[in-house]
Amino acid sequence: MCGIAGVLHRSGGPVPLELLRRMSDVIAHRGPDGEGQYADGPVGLVNRRLASRLSLAPGSKLRLRGACGSQATALPPVEMKVQGIVAFPFDSSAGLTAMTTLPGFLRVCANESPGLAELLLVASKPEAGADAAVAAIRRVAPGLHVFSNEQLLDRLQRTDFSYFRQISFVLSAITIFFAFLLVTTLLTVSVNQRLGELAVLRALGFRRWRIVSGLLCESLLLVGAGGLLALPGGALLALWLDRILRTMPDLPERLHFFVFEPRAVLLHVAIIALTALLAAAYPAVLVARLPIAATLRHEVVS
Amino acid sequence: MSAPPVVEARDLTKVFPMPAGPVTALGGVSLRIDPSEYVAISGPSGCGKSTLLHLLGCVETPTSGSIALDGRQVASLSDAERSRLRLARIGFVFQRFFLLPMLTAWENVELPQSELRIPKAKRRERTRELLAYVGLESRADHRPSQLSGGEMQRVAIARALANRPSLVLADEPTGELDEATGTQIADLLDRVNADGTALVVVTHNAALAARAGRRIAMTSGRLA
Repeated sequence: MCGIAGVLHRSGGPVPLELLRRMSDVIAHRGPDGEGQYADGPVGLVNRRLASRLSLAPGSKLRLRGACGSQATALPPVEMKVQGIVAFPFDSSAGLTAMTTLPGFLRVCANESPGLAELLLVASKPEAGADAAVAAIRRVAPGLHVFSNEQLLDRLQRTDFSYFRQISFVLSAITIFFAFLLVTTLLTVSVNQRLGELAVLRALGFRRWRIVSGLLCESLLLVGAGGLLALPGGALLALWLDRILRTMPDLPERLHFFVFEPRAVLLHVAIIALTALLAAAYPAVLVARLPIAATLRHEVVS
Repeated sequence: MSAPPVVEARDLTKVFPMPAGPVTALGGVSLRIDPSEYVAISGPSGCGKSTLLHLLGCVETPTSGSIALDGRQVASLSDAERSRLRLARIGFVFQRFFLLPMLTAWENVELPQSELRIPKAKRRERTRELLAYVGLESRADHRPSQLSGGEMQRVAIARALANRPSLVLADEPTGELDEATGTQIADLLDRVNADGTALVVVTHNAALAARAGRRIAMTSGRLA
């Protein structure tokens, strides 16, 4: 004969060995053949880096020592069974990460449960959507800071990445200003060297707007050629800077500082067109006001 | 009843404001150019010959007086309309040729036709015809820097005739050329006039002026 006694915490909490021993004592009369206690520990998932470092595989045992709150230095190690090896979405590039259930986590922390958490991740139902989930949690727990992924990213864009935005803005503004000065100077010099030709074209019957539009085209070609070359140049620079910035420690592995967005190309084209128009403005005024006869006289005399 | 004039100027004055005081380049000049007429204007430097030519060509506006081109009062036209009038009705020949240096002879002659939106086939036919007319078919693909002075002026004459103008205005067309080449250009201008185009030539060249049907002398901004 034999008997088996057991305890199952549906919440996944730990079972004290002393309790199992006392239960075993109660049924000891059923047979003397043998006796033993088995308490399975918490289960968890580990990232590939940790699995590789400690040669872990599903089913392996992983001993974790907690560093939790006031008991940071005195906690015994807890054995955890590895259920799987996974890639976590926000894992850092050098992080050794393990994940377990809340009861498992409490066990690692020797059941210290202050009821506090720094971060809670909540999955919303697809049919409800993240915004509805955020609103619902806010209603239930007004004291929590609740964000959807989109809101969090937007917040990061506006605050944490504003430094990069400011640098980009300043660099772009300086570049555009010098492009504007350079093209304006080039076109002005070019117009001044071609005053005779332009006066002849006007004398032959070319309309004022035709000459001015030709000048605008020249400006667009100059700035546009630079802008076109800037696209691959900018892409290579962004890749290079991204690689440098991503060497910073503890960054999520999938985080990138430079991400291609089609609207950036549209903005680029718009800025180029505006720069070309502004750069051509002064030489265009020179051309538009060109006195035909006086210029022809001057060309003959000179 | 005589044919209406190609251009008729009445009581033209032109005063240039200068820092040292206004300078009167033209004082009350009246002139009528009839179709197929050949007029030479000569006189000392600074007497207002070129100013008169610029006024007749609608590239300058008079201080007072009126100009009628093909019966239309130029003063009432907008800048775009004056441009159109120059393009379609007036041909210019300059002392320094003023060909566009980056274009070939062919392209220089084709340019005014393109601006007038002449169909490509007609442009090609007209350009070929004009280069043959001035004897430069073989130099069609040459740029101005590859042509002699006389050849450049012949291309300039072909360009002036491109849109079949009723009036060609030539400002010292032989001024940059040696005597022999100048004579060739004068012969060419004779042919242009003989083919029915009114011609006004401003020149110091007595031999060229002598070819005109009517010779006008100018002094101090007035017709003598």
